[in-house]
Amino acid sequence: MNDDLLQIEKLNVEYITDDAIVYALNDFSLNVKRGEKIGLVGETGAGKTTLALSILRLLPKKIGKITSGSIKYESEELLDKPESYMLGLRGRRISMIFQDPMTSLNPVKTVGDQVLEVLNLHFPDLSKEEKNAKVDEIFRLVGIPAERKFEYPHQFSGGMKQRIVIAMALIAEPELLLADEPTTALDVTIQAQILELMKELKEKYNSAVILITHDLGVVAEFCDSVAVVYGGRVVEIGKVEEIFGNSHNHPYTKGLINCIPDLTSTAPRLHPIAGRMGDPRIKVQGCCFADRCPNATEKCKTTPPPMVYEGEHGILCHLYSKEGA
Amino acid sequence: MPKKKNKKPLSEYSSWELIGYRFKKNKLAMLGVFMLAVIILVTLLAPLFIPYEKVIEQNVRQKLQGPSLEHVFGTDELGRDMLARVLYGGRISLLCGIAIIAIAFIFGAIIGGIAGFIGGKVDTVLMRIVDALMAVPPALLAMAIITALGNGVFNLVIALAIAQIPRFARTVRSSVLTLRNMEYVEAAKCYGSSSMRIIVKHILPNGIGPIVVAATLTLGAVILSISSMGYLGLGVASPTPEWGTIISENKINIRYYPYLGLIPGLCIMFSVMAVNFIGDGLRDAFDPKSKN
Amino acid sequence: MNAPLIEAVNVKKYFKTPRGLLHAVEDVNFKIFEGKTLGVVGESGCGKSTLGRTILRLHEATAGQVLYNGENILEYKKKEMHKVQRNMQMVFQDPYSSLDPRMSVRALIMEPLDVVGTGENLSKSGKREKADRIMELCGLPANHANLYPHELDGGLRQRVGLARAMILEPKFLVCDEPVSALDVSIQAQILNLLMDLQDSKGLSYMFITHDLAVVKHISDEIMVMYMGQVIELASSEELFKRPLHPYTRALLNAIPTIDLSRRNREKVTLKGEVTSPINPEPGCRFAKRCPYATEKCKENPVLKEVEPGHFASCTMGA
Repeated sequence: MNDDLLQIEKLNVEYITDDAIVYALNDFSLNVKRGEKIGLVGETGAGKTTLALSILRLLPKKIGKITSGSIKYESEELLDKPESYMLGLRGRRISMIFQDPMTSLNPVKTVGDQVLEVLNLHFPDLSKEEKNAKVDEIFRLVGIPAERKFEYPHQFSGGMKQRIVIAMALIAEPELLLADEPTTALDVTIQAQILELMKELKEKYNSAVILITHDLGVVAEFCDSVAVVYGGRVVEIGKVEEIFGNSHNHPYTKGLINCIPDLTSTAPRLHPIAGRMGDPRIKVQGCCFADRCPNATEKCKTTPPPMVYEGEHGILCHLYSKEGA
Repeated sequence: MPKKKNKKPLSEYSSWELIGYRFKKNKLAMLGVFMLAVIILVTLLAPLFIPYEKVIEQNVRQKLQGPSLEHVFGTDELGRDMLARVLYGGRISLLCGIAIIAIAFIFGAIIGGIAGFIGGKVDTVLMRIVDALMAVPPALLAMAIITALGNGVFNLVIALAIAQIPRFARTVRSSVLTLRNMEYVEAAKCYGSSSMRIIVKHILPNGIGPIVVAATLTLGAVILSISSMGYLGLGVASPTPEWGTIISENKINIRYYPYLGLIPGLCIMFSVMAVNFIGDGLRDAFDPKSKN
Repeated sequence: MNAPLIEAVNVKKYFKTPRGLLHAVEDVNFKIFEGKTLGVVGESGCGKSTLGRTILRLHEATAGQVLYNGENILEYKKKEMHKVQRNMQMVFQDPYSSLDPRMSVRALIMEPLDVVGTGENLSKSGKREKADRIMELCGLPANHANLYPHELDGGLRQRVGLARAMILEPKFLVCDEPVSALDVSIQAQILNLLMDLQDSKGLSYMFITHDLAVVKHISDEIMVMYMGQVIELASSEELFKRPLHPYTRALLNAIPTIDLSRRNREKVTLKGEVTSPINPEPGCRFAKRCPYATEKCKENPVLKEVEPGHFASCTMGA
């Protein structure tokens, strides 16, 4: 069996609004292996959530459009599949956890019923007893007493709700879990709990996880590898050690790392990245980061940079290519 | 807004001037203003070309005649000139309709505003009163009030206005409640704004959109309710014309003489449409996010 | 630098709720000197925002004193309050809801001048000039003056919020999570701006946040709160070097960092979650989640000066 679970190649996604076309993803490529924990980091508007929605084919109808590229899941091209195929995939083989646990649960159904519904949908053949036993087990695994399954979402705190969302996402034992900012709405101590829980469950089910976040720290602690996203592209990809452990980085990654106030340093000033994110309605000729990059040359503005690999560590930048910048 | 001949750059405009500017740029809203102006002018100037006698003058020999040169809008069952009736009727319909909305709007806004902004016990008491009013069907409420105050157009206006107040109070209260908790209101308190200033500068401009639209949409319903009151013999009674009354007194003949219903009906429709355009225009003008 | 600019003495704020009395802020004491920053950290619901608002009298304190230059402003009448108000301003968390969407950038920034003024008696053009100067100071391009908030991104909006506070030339700013809604690169810009303003104008800040890395970066002193109580207060360096309270240690341990050497640290994961302090029982409110809790924790904790300038209400396990 092939080791690759998900292969995204040259994916282009556009949002068509009344007055403009927004280029959300541009030639986005990413490989996810079985059981891998990969972090997708980037700032607001980088295209992280768009990617997750594209994989599930849940882009807003008529507005979001995949214009070209391919998404292969277990070597099957998802973009050619009918909606009925996707229905069987979503929640069963690929699950998603959303950022806001407050709004991702239905307030008028008990939490137990909401978890049970996933089973009813994807495992209709199981008997009632088997289903209930499964629900009880997943509640135990996410650290909620099974007797609380008869309660409603508003009776739980934010962290507890996120545990229930995780229970819903994992009960079908999916091969791939898309977690979109799962801990952003939570406090640090609760975030630590949830990340720990996700790690444990990931080991138990050996699911692959794509963790979408803006927090480099969370990625550094949770993931095996990292993809840094900017302007709808992966600008750098590699193992956590390669990204955070050495000086070989894409200028944008370097900029991001320099922005974070460090717990150990006492430097009086931070070093923000100059300028702001480019307008996604304009297709760039050269490198999407050229306008803000301290090392940019004429070439960066005109020629798209190549992905330069050193082993598994790839950087999308002229600086590291053989011809140089 | 004072008129200024030398054009200032947009950036010099005050926020109210900007609202006026955006309103004027809205074609549909200006069409609404034009339509309403025409309707009001024609009805107000009616005495200049048709004497009031025409309204009540009966001529049974000429009953139920379709539109002709002599009677542009035809005649009704009693041979009265429809043009005269519609024009004079419009004065009552529009005047009463607008007066009712205005009264209900002002009192509703005050009650709802106080309840929403002060909150607590004041809110509870005011809203329970409003709830009680809402529980009574508006027609029944208006009838009760007219019975108490005595019959007459003026009392009808008061009665129908009171019947509308609860709706406005509710709408205003709910928008004040959301706006009151916005951080910019807190920021305004932080630099020492008084409650009055917060209401005028921040809550009113932000909350007025939906309320204005609600007000304009209510106008049609109000004009119709004037006529149903008239039908019950309250307020405007035959032979005094009024658009709703004209429709209801002709209802047995509408089947074979459709113009009898069509003409006053179209009048109501165009007035309501005009007011709606204006309302929509106002809502957009208050919102800097609108594209104009 | 002898007398503090702002001093809180036993400040309490309780709210009535249908389920009982919510002890949002319990006996808080602190001093902020001119040109210094006090960081207030804690998780959501710990009372840090309520404290900030109580200091500015956006909430009326239940008990206690807030001294500005030695005078208790909680006793001030409306008129007197008006005079000190311009010296104490606030920057809000949400750059989306803290700006009136119906006002242009310039109108937003000028508005405090129309309400309070700075005592200069400016003409309309004088006010505009002043607004333009403040915009430049806060890094807002002059051609943004006629734009509306929805046309700006989060970072620019936050600059507008800051400019609105700065136009009154305050001496003291309460910053309530001013950067937590922003992306890291923008966050760094705003933090630098705040520090520049402090250097050039001698401002004092009360900086409220849940982000420990940010608070360490900007603060001179840090106060850690848990469910309305102050559990530790120390200089920024000292707190991070020698955290004493079990909660502070757990909090520091929980911060995810890109420092790979910390990756394999021994994790201290706290059990349970913060509840709201409605009719709280006496004793330490952290006891339910504390790994060191004993019978003794049922007594009310007292903030003790463990070392010079380092206060903590508990040092178990340190």
